Amino acid sequence: MAGAFDFVPAIAALPLLAFVVSLFAGQYMPKRGAEAGILATAGSLVLSIWTALTVAGITGSATSYNENLYTWVAGVADGAVTLRLGVLVDPLTALMLVIVSLIALLVHVFSLGYMNDEGETGLPRYYAGLGLFTASMLAFVFSNNLLMAFMFFELVGLCSYLLIGFWFREDGPPSAAKKAFLVTRFGDYFFLIGVVGVFATFGTGLFAPITEGGTVVAESFPQMAEHALEDGESFFGYSAQTWITILGMLVLGGVVGKSAQFPLHTWLPDAMEGPTPVSALIHAATMVAAGVYLVARMYGFYLLSPTALAVIALIGGFTALFAATMGVVKQELKQVLAYSTISQYGYMMLALGSGGYVAAVFHLTTHAIFKALLFLGAGSVIIAMHHNENMWDMGGLKDRMPVTYWTFLSGSLALAGIVPFAGFWSKDEVLFEALIHGFGSTGTLGTMFLVAYAMGLLAVFFTGFYTFRMVYLTFHGDARTDVARDPEPVGWNVKGPLSVLGIGAATVGLINMKPIADLTGLHIDFLHKWLLGPEEGGWPALTSTGLHHYEELMHNVAGIDPAYPLGETTTLLVSALVSLSLALAGVLVARSLYNEPEPVEHTDKLGGAKTLLMHNYYQDEYQVWLAQGVTVPLARAADKFDQGVVDGVVNGISSVSLFTGSRFRRIQSGVVTNYAALMTLSLVLLLVVFVVLGGGV
Amino acid sequence: MPVAGPIEALLAVTLVGALAVFLAPDEWAGKLATAISLVPVAVSAWMYTAFDGAGNALLGGDLAFESTIGWVQLGRYELAYHVGLDGISMPLLLLTTVLTTLALVSSWTPIDERQSQFYGLMLLMEASLIGVFSALDFFMWLVFWEAVLIPMYFLIGVWGGPRRKYAAIKFFVYTNVATLIMFVGFMALVFGLGDSISTFDMPEIAQALRAGGNLSAVAGIQPANLSLIAFTLMFAGFAVKVPVFPVHTWLPDAHVEAPTPVSVMLAGVLLKMGTYALLRFNFTMLREVAEANAAIIVAFGVLSIIYGAMLALAQQDLKRIVAYSSISSMGYVIVGLVAFTPHGFGGATFQMISHGLISGLMFMTVGVIYNETHTRMVGDISGIADRMPWAVGIFVAAAFGYMGLPFMAGFAAEYLIFQGAFASSVIPAAPLVTGVAMFGIVIVAGYLLWAMQRTLFGEYSLATDYDVSRAPVHDVAPLVVLLALVIVLGVRPGLVYQMIQDAVNPLLDTALQGGVALW
Repeated sequence: MAGAFDFVPAIAALPLLAFVVSLFAGQYMPKRGAEAGILATAGSLVLSIWTALTVAGITGSATSYNENLYTWVAGVADGAVTLRLGVLVDPLTALMLVIVSLIALLVHVFSLGYMNDEGETGLPRYYAGLGLFTASMLAFVFSNNLLMAFMFFELVGLCSYLLIGFWFREDGPPSAAKKAFLVTRFGDYFFLIGVVGVFATFGTGLFAPITEGGTVVAESFPQMAEHALEDGESFFGYSAQTWITILGMLVLGGVVGKSAQFPLHTWLPDAMEGPTPVSALIHAATMVAAGVYLVARMYGFYLLSPTALAVIALIGGFTALFAATMGVVKQELKQVLAYSTISQYGYMMLALGSGGYVAAVFHLTTHAIFKALLFLGAGSVIIAMHHNENMWDMGGLKDRMPVTYWTFLSGSLALAGIVPFAGFWSKDEVLFEALIHGFGSTGTLGTMFLVAYAMGLLAVFFTGFYTFRMVYLTFHGDARTDVARDPEPVGWNVKGPLSVLGIGAATVGLINMKPIADLTGLHIDFLHKWLLGPEEGGWPALTSTGLHHYEELMHNVAGIDPAYPLGETTTLLVSALVSLSLALAGVLVARSLYNEPEPVEHTDKLGGAKTLLMHNYYQDEYQVWLAQGVTVPLARAADKFDQGVVDGVVNGISSVSLFTGSRFRRIQSGVVTNYAALMTLSLVLLLVVFVVLGGGV
Repeated sequence: MPVAGPIEALLAVTLVGALAVFLAPDEWAGKLATAISLVPVAVSAWMYTAFDGAGNALLGGDLAFESTIGWVQLGRYELAYHVGLDGISMPLLLLTTVLTTLALVSSWTPIDERQSQFYGLMLLMEASLIGVFSALDFFMWLVFWEAVLIPMYFLIGVWGGPRRKYAAIKFFVYTNVATLIMFVGFMALVFGLGDSISTFDMPEIAQALRAGGNLSAVAGIQPANLSLIAFTLMFAGFAVKVPVFPVHTWLPDAHVEAPTPVSVMLAGVLLKMGTYALLRFNFTMLREVAEANAAIIVAFGVLSIIYGAMLALAQQDLKRIVAYSSISSMGYVIVGLVAFTPHGFGGATFQMISHGLISGLMFMTVGVIYNETHTRMVGDISGIADRMPWAVGIFVAAAFGYMGLPFMAGFAAEYLIFQGAFASSVIPAAPLVTGVAMFGIVIVAGYLLWAMQRTLFGEYSLATDYDVSRAPVHDVAPLVVLLALVIVLGVRPGLVYQMIQDAVNPLLDTALQGGVALW
């Protein structure tokens, strides 16, 4: 019987088809290819929802799917791995498929207003890019093994290059596109070593075991790693524990690059050079989400390495705080959002590192909604402002574009983490998990979690502040320019997606109100239950990617346990209250400073610190220096060496032989035919001589 | 055994075709040569579908399209005409015929004098290349090997850029000296084998050498040292062709001066002669020496990868960039070969095909841009994406192919090499060495992205007095074909990888011992 799972490949194939159609036929279509993209992503969304419902058990019982569909390279000899493409659908996949196709659809619709109505050229190329981007991400999401994930991860990188550099006639976008690809490629370099390493170690890259009739026919690499750990095996001269950590850290390189975590976050603010709908897609659902999703996807592997977990948590906590502080001083709307993205993905990393799997997936979900909303809202403002992005030229847009304002406000409240908007619930859960695991885990690991928690907590204040600084500067006070006084109106294709997302940002947190669930005993932590799956029976294939299994691993292998220093209920309440009050404090400080008719830039009072923040802690400078100040001179030196020494020796030898043998000069400078013939003839003669002589040896 | 098989047909068509084109008037020599070259394409495509070889050509495998004719007795040795294909040479043959036709089409625009000679030489080169990849008798193979040089020498020396004489002579002398060195090495082996062989038949020699114990001392050099010396000489000789650092400097000069279609053949096929020969001679016949010296060989490979990429980074001339990046890409082949694993050998062979297609595509794309702008300097061109959208689109696709974008042939090849090398038990500290070699994929992205940003994007400007417009269809068509092939092989590597694996796996069948390390 053909069920939803048979159509999962079509979820990615439809946008891929849209890519082809838009690229080659887009110029003949009234909307220049948007039609194909909208239809395809709508189809993907329908199929994704169907898939999710099937996973949830609409067909009777909850189920999952993991099959190899295509043999990319068949290894024939012993020890030659076979490389395949396949589909894995479990609750995590299904959820992410719905998110990605939903955001992609809304971004396509929004683009009608942002690109078509603004009279852009090159639209077929734009929609082709969006289609390929969506297709790559969706295929990445349902990849059933690490190599396939890497392959689509790279395609995602290509698409970001094509779309960030969409306006190629200017200088900025091509440069930003190059930087985005190069920085993430640097991360992917480590990822690729990790992929190769995983295949070389385990002979498979499967995320989850493949089962047939209830028995496992192909084990997954996290499972095999688990067994290796139990059996005390060693790989390549390292203990299983060390080797798993090494592999985990290598793969993490790709994660840090794509999810824009410190120190590879530098590409992301530059990527704002791309069209705003693309930014929405990149930040909310595709490229940046890919990194975090990958960690969640192979969480069973990371749980085997406490070291890797600690690193993930620390990178996450640090990035959350670090990026949030930079967001405080930015002048341009999209720049603030860019740093907020980096910061928010830091929270997800923090959650994953500290054992908060559900919290991370939850935050990934809510963030996708509210960040897409904020970017599209910013896009709406940018249309209205005739593509001026400087917040100091705005002001007072509240009354002139109410739909944008109210939806943007919904997204901002979610971002700042104000109850009951989506971001509050997810961010609170992230911090709560880090806190209790910090107290509960033994040794250094617990301390690391607490350090990461502290940074994440502090970032909450900055988040509230920069978010509402942005809101007040953009929408409140008096209009500071003529354009802001008379903004260009936006159409339904802008307001529609905003409204959908605006409602989402306010409500999507309801899917996992864990504090309420814990306090009241009501079973309303739906996401948790979704990821957990049925209590008994069913889902044998999920034994290694299910939450049950992760909880066991956390306890047994990683040594992560919860502890409640103030008792369970009190700890819960205190944690929520602390983060909420910090967020509110941030909002209130922003309000007191910027909610004025004629706001002034208070961040000037930061003095030297502001300079530091405006220069992004000189992160770009040192990376550009590494690329241009070190690598380029090194390359030039190599070139000089090559021309002077290596080739010099060659030319030296040949000129010596040319000039000493002056009597050969006539031949050498003579007719080329003679020269060539002589050379060949001499060789043949030589052969004959050798053979004849050899016969006598 | 059939005397006139498809290989003979290929040789005959290209040789006779070359003659016909020489005699044809310049006006339609290009069209005639292209039409003639379609015959080898069709024949080799048919051969691919009818391919029934199994195993490795040198190690007793079943050869496809084999034919043998005894020829002359030379001293104690019988020279023979012996050709045949296995899973390694079949794809290379196909690469040769396809790339030749595409290179011929891409010559229509830039070659505007002495066309009949140009196209005749191109066909002559095709014939020689077919011979190199199908010959199994050393003497015959050597004749073809040398015969490739002559058309190439003229093609650079007559139709090349301002320093064409220098480049052509450098190419010719450099590679010829290399052949001489290699030749001495091989003959040392033949003498060492003494009475155990009486022909120059490569399969026979390879099997005699691999069987072990057949070598005897020559001129007081003990067998173990003899094979080490022979290996070193042959490696040095073939390394020039590949080229491997530090014997690579003829390559950028040749490429810069050569006209585009000649560069396509040079990078696309001629370099593969070097790695093909390394695989056939060094890594098949003297496997134990290669294993014993894996550390040194892999060092040359890694050095070529990183050093070649660094040099590419320093260049301003688009063609030089691609030329140096070829050194880098061919370094991967060396790393793959010396891994002595199934995917190592397989990936290395696949990389020969993949790099043949991708570098050909890259050179052709640069050529198309040059046809319109008459410059290749990065600083002279800017923002041509608007003027020639399809060519630029293909440039971007080709560059990403070069960077190893998944679902393009380059990724498959490089990934398999990495996979093979990582698991190698021969390369010391294999995971670490592989990791270092892989850094090439970062540098390649650096220089290609930089070059694209400068030339294709930004505001339009051009330092030369030409008006850039869309390239003619016959310029773009070969690019489209190549790009399609690159994608097809990237999505379905098995189209050639299956036969490649079948041919390389016997190389690992028996463990051989007793190789002497250089130090």
